[in-house]
Amino acid sequence: MTNGWTDVANADVVLVMGGNPAENHPVGFRFVLEAKRLRKAKIVCIDPRFTRTAAVSDLYVPIRSGTDIAFLGGLIHYAVSNNKYQRKYVELNTNASFLIAEGFGFSEGHFSGWKDGKYDKATWQYELDGQGYAKVDPTLEHPRCVFQLMKTHYSRYTPEVVANICGCTAEEFVKAAEMITIAAAADKSGTVLYALGWTHHSFAVQLIHAAAMVQLLMGNIGMPGGGVNAQRGHANIQGSTDMGAWNTLPGYLKIPRANHENLADYLKANTPKALRPNSLNYLGNTPKFMTSLLKAYYGPHATKANDFGYDWLPKVEEGADHSWGTFFDQMHAGKMDGLISFGMNPVANGPNTPKMIRALSNLKWLIVAENFETETAAFWRAKELADKEYPQSLKADDIQTEVFLLPAACFAEKDGAFVNSSRWLQWKEAAVDPPGDARRDQDIISDLFHAVQDLYAKEGGARPEPLMNMQWNYAKPQRPLLGEVAREVNGVDLETGKQLNGFGELKDDGSTACGNWIYSGSWTEAGNQMSRRGQGDPTGLGLYPQWAWSWPANRRILYNRASTDSAGKPWDETRAPLRWNGKRWTGDTPDYKADAPPETMAPFIMLPEGVARLFAPDLVEGPFPEHYEPAESPVDNSLHPTVNANPLLRTYNSDMDHFGTAKDFPFVAITYRLTEHFHYWTKHTSSSSELQSNFFVEIPEELAKEKGIANKTLVRVSSARGKIEGPALVTKRLRTLKVSGKKVYQIGLPIHWGFVGKVHGPLINNLTPSAYDPNCGTPEYKGFLVNVEKIG
Amino acid sequence: MTNPNPEIRIPRFDAYERVMHWMAALSFFYATLTGLALWSPKLYWMATMMGGGYHIRGSHPWVGVGFAVVMGVMARRWANGMRLDADDRIWLTRMHKYATHDHAALPPSGRFNAGQKMLFWAQLATTLALFVSGFVLWFPEWMPRSLRLLSIAAHPLAAIGSITSILVHVYMGTAAVPHSMRAMLRGYVLPEWARFHHPKWYKAWRASHHV
Amino acid sequence: MIVAKLIDTTLCIGCKACEVACQEWNDQEYTMGTFDGSYQTKPELEANFWNLIKFNEVEKDGATSWLMSKYQCMHCADAGCLAACPAPGAIVPLANGTIDFVHENCIGCGYCITGCPFDVPRLNATTKKAYKCTLCSDRTAVGLEPACIKTCPTNCLTFGERDELLRMAETRTGELKADGFADAGIYNPQGVGGTNVLYVLKHASEPEQYGLPKDPVIPWTVSLWKGPMKWMGTLMFWGTVLGAFFHFVIYGPQDPEKHGHPEEPSDKS
Repeated sequence: MTNGWTDVANADVVLVMGGNPAENHPVGFRFVLEAKRLRKAKIVCIDPRFTRTAAVSDLYVPIRSGTDIAFLGGLIHYAVSNNKYQRKYVELNTNASFLIAEGFGFSEGHFSGWKDGKYDKATWQYELDGQGYAKVDPTLEHPRCVFQLMKTHYSRYTPEVVANICGCTAEEFVKAAEMITIAAAADKSGTVLYALGWTHHSFAVQLIHAAAMVQLLMGNIGMPGGGVNAQRGHANIQGSTDMGAWNTLPGYLKIPRANHENLADYLKANTPKALRPNSLNYLGNTPKFMTSLLKAYYGPHATKANDFGYDWLPKVEEGADHSWGTFFDQMHAGKMDGLISFGMNPVANGPNTPKMIRALSNLKWLIVAENFETETAAFWRAKELADKEYPQSLKADDIQTEVFLLPAACFAEKDGAFVNSSRWLQWKEAAVDPPGDARRDQDIISDLFHAVQDLYAKEGGARPEPLMNMQWNYAKPQRPLLGEVAREVNGVDLETGKQLNGFGELKDDGSTACGNWIYSGSWTEAGNQMSRRGQGDPTGLGLYPQWAWSWPANRRILYNRASTDSAGKPWDETRAPLRWNGKRWTGDTPDYKADAPPETMAPFIMLPEGVARLFAPDLVEGPFPEHYEPAESPVDNSLHPTVNANPLLRTYNSDMDHFGTAKDFPFVAITYRLTEHFHYWTKHTSSSSELQSNFFVEIPEELAKEKGIANKTLVRVSSARGKIEGPALVTKRLRTLKVSGKKVYQIGLPIHWGFVGKVHGPLINNLTPSAYDPNCGTPEYKGFLVNVEKIG
Repeated sequence: MTNPNPEIRIPRFDAYERVMHWMAALSFFYATLTGLALWSPKLYWMATMMGGGYHIRGSHPWVGVGFAVVMGVMARRWANGMRLDADDRIWLTRMHKYATHDHAALPPSGRFNAGQKMLFWAQLATTLALFVSGFVLWFPEWMPRSLRLLSIAAHPLAAIGSITSILVHVYMGTAAVPHSMRAMLRGYVLPEWARFHHPKWYKAWRASHHV
Repeated sequence: MIVAKLIDTTLCIGCKACEVACQEWNDQEYTMGTFDGSYQTKPELEANFWNLIKFNEVEKDGATSWLMSKYQCMHCADAGCLAACPAPGAIVPLANGTIDFVHENCIGCGYCITGCPFDVPRLNATTKKAYKCTLCSDRTAVGLEPACIKTCPTNCLTFGERDELLRMAETRTGELKADGFADAGIYNPQGVGGTNVLYVLKHASEPEQYGLPKDPVIPWTVSLWKGPMKWMGTLMFWGTVLGAFFHFVIYGPQDPEKHGHPEEPSDKS
């Protein structure tokens, strides 16, 4: 979230799209209802299903799954063509005035530079002046300025076109647009709440970019009650992202690539240069973050002479991808030996379950550390437990994979910090000891580490340095405390031995160590900031700066400098997170230099432009979001029928990756979570299982009538990947949509069940396709094609 | 001799009938006491005396079922003889004469007089009502609400009818008609008693026994 | 002081947190259900499930709405269960307005189920005792709010002094009316003397949409039984007993000697 849960209460308009917070974030949803009650905020819910969120919204508009970009593009067109955007904000805070290179354009479904299935991004770049700064036209009139290009790009997205793609009516769209653009007024703000309904598409990153564009046009970024707010699904999924992934190091530093042969190469490639004279370009400090990270990893072994151990970091081939879909594809192809699965259940989570199960069958070993025996740990029993759903899976006797199930402690049995959607690091204590043989993750990891290190010491091996030089500086090396790790993550001044106060103190000469620069400040000399529980609210905006600690720098609203005009005057006097008192910025931690007068630098200090990007040249399938159909779609793309889906859609070509067409699979399927359950975990607990014991298939009333399906009748849902069975829940809440003149039905498929646990049911991913977003590798779990047959 | 021979014993109820009757009487007595205990909080002390409310709530319906079964058996035995004939109809219109002992004004009765027959039918009807409504009240979880609502009033109403008529029956069988108890306890009556209370039955008996 | 629960249905998101809190606090046994064609946890309340969110899909004037409301014992001022209960001390109205079931006194007759106009109490199949929401009398007795109130994430549920809650409900109704919901109102049915569970409804004239009975009253058959019939029964009992007694006093027993039948065929042998 750019803002935070408590801040949602400051909104005048709440756009809930690609998310269902009433069901999946019921506790956070209290702030939505607070805005509704106390501020008379309007809640607009755009969703394929009439959800529990829709039930308490002021306006609900149904759309076909996977058409969100069309809807948001329509909003951009509506705002720009009806002058319902905050012009001053756009001029000051976005790259609307930046000029783009000659030759940029969009036609027939492709941006300029499309050749041989790839983009050459030459025409997507800013036009630079002699000093390397981007040229701008503050009047926004230049035909090659971002604003004009954007206006042209979205001129196609009229309400009628939007309605024709999304399946709602043009009137409904306009009604929603009117409500959402209330926030265009300088003293109004609107928030966007989204979750997996946006990220589970093969164009997810573009979709969120589109939302950011809408919010920038409304002047909502940096404003209390504004922002683009991702509702994270797990208590600590934000923390897990912050701490790195296959392509990032902690703090979103990029993973070194094979062609970054030394630290200097890496830093050259990954340290941005300011694109405007007034841009602070804070990420110019990347060398300090990276050097301090290496010092945290390798301690005294990291010296200036050895590039601080840069060589010991793993490097990824340039252009190579190791995301979820790819490594499972490699596993399926027999190219992997083993997998350690911690707090993850790939058989249940991943798309195309039959392929997941078969892939695991090709491993030599599998380690699962979990609270329960999950489907992943029990994958070799799929034939025995659920043959009907996974006829392709092998018999246990034919699987050679050695499976180790390590009983792991659950969240309440260990201390540590959860990082919530609001970016708050909230420290917690262990409530109880782990039961039986269950052990805490850090103990399991520590033992593994020492065992492997001992093996290397005894027997030697290839490239021992990363392992042997790893700093493991804990009071009891076998049993590190999470408090010790947290202090390392915060960072320390290696000369004085004192905890750092924040990332401003980091240095690139090896005199500081820091495990994650964005968390620097979370455990200072003053103690563990994450365990603070102060309830003071000096701004009166519900920011609670003394409650826990928020990254970065305890800042509660990101980009908060944009909440004031160029002179430092708040857009809305009643909602000012920051004020310039002539000497300093007061209020929230400024997203700005604390003592820099308002006119001296551009407001978005984290970006080299100094302003936010309406035009984002770093995304792979285009600088502006464009509506593409999901990988499987019931209709052709009415904007450009020859380029139907995302041109850079990532798929795989194994013998288990199939796609279907509307001829065989005429209905659009959506998968989703229910408030009663948490993912595939709570089917192991009695209370949640009681609340919703059974899998069901939601079917629109009209389709049910056509097919003679009564409520509770057993139906079979099939896709090109597999089939599942379950009772029908016939509902009015799934409206029949009219898309390109054709009736489109959507089928609702809640996840949560599987072949182990207190309650059983099919794994929905038996149906989902191996189609992935090319930017981030997220699978398209929503908006694929199925058929429905009555069997009961 | 003008008077019947007092030495002669006329069989009135065989052992089967007597056992059935007293089984009905005992189960009725128990069901009445437990029913009354649950009928009013003022009578709940009776529940305590009989083992507590929870216990009698459990036993009352079973005893009720027993009563109904015995009533059914008795009905099978007696129903034919309980049909009203022409004399009975006249008897009923002159019931007040019976109450005031003006027997000369009444047509002769058979084995059972019209009052006894009416008691029989009344008991049969209230038993049926008690059985059906009681069954509904026994399984509230499985019964539709409308039936339960009906039964909650019908059951006590039928009980009131049943208890009242049994009170009359007890009075008639004890104080009001001397020696009738002998018929239900020992099974026989004396000719004089039979001649007086059930002349047509007495006559039939005489005819068949060529006395 | 009479306490009450206020359920602002406009803020209910059907998250069922109150259901779990109720189950947990009351140490209920969890039972896995069968699918009933709805999002509802169970079709109805159960002996070990006292707090149920009802989900109602309503289609009116072409617009779909999904109304959710918490269903549990209403703690009526004039309680039908209490009226129907034959076991003294099994259902106890507490001074704070709670209608509490005392299970050691419950005889398991199930009359409370029939007497309740909201169809709330349920019999446990094995113990045959009746169960329902206790308004967490074991919590309120020590100054805590009921478990459901404590857990509600959206402030849809409030616990407190009844008069104060009624004032809050009126304010909220006013807000809703100002927002264009002309039919907004409070559900506090007078047929049972008012309830200690109050609802704010957007469509107050049609509480059935929320699964609430429109004009609940103690069933007339229960009133008939507990009122006129009691008098009638008493009258008939003593009337018959006394009637028989005085009949005997006046007329004495029937005596063939005195009351001989003239047409009687006498034994003339």
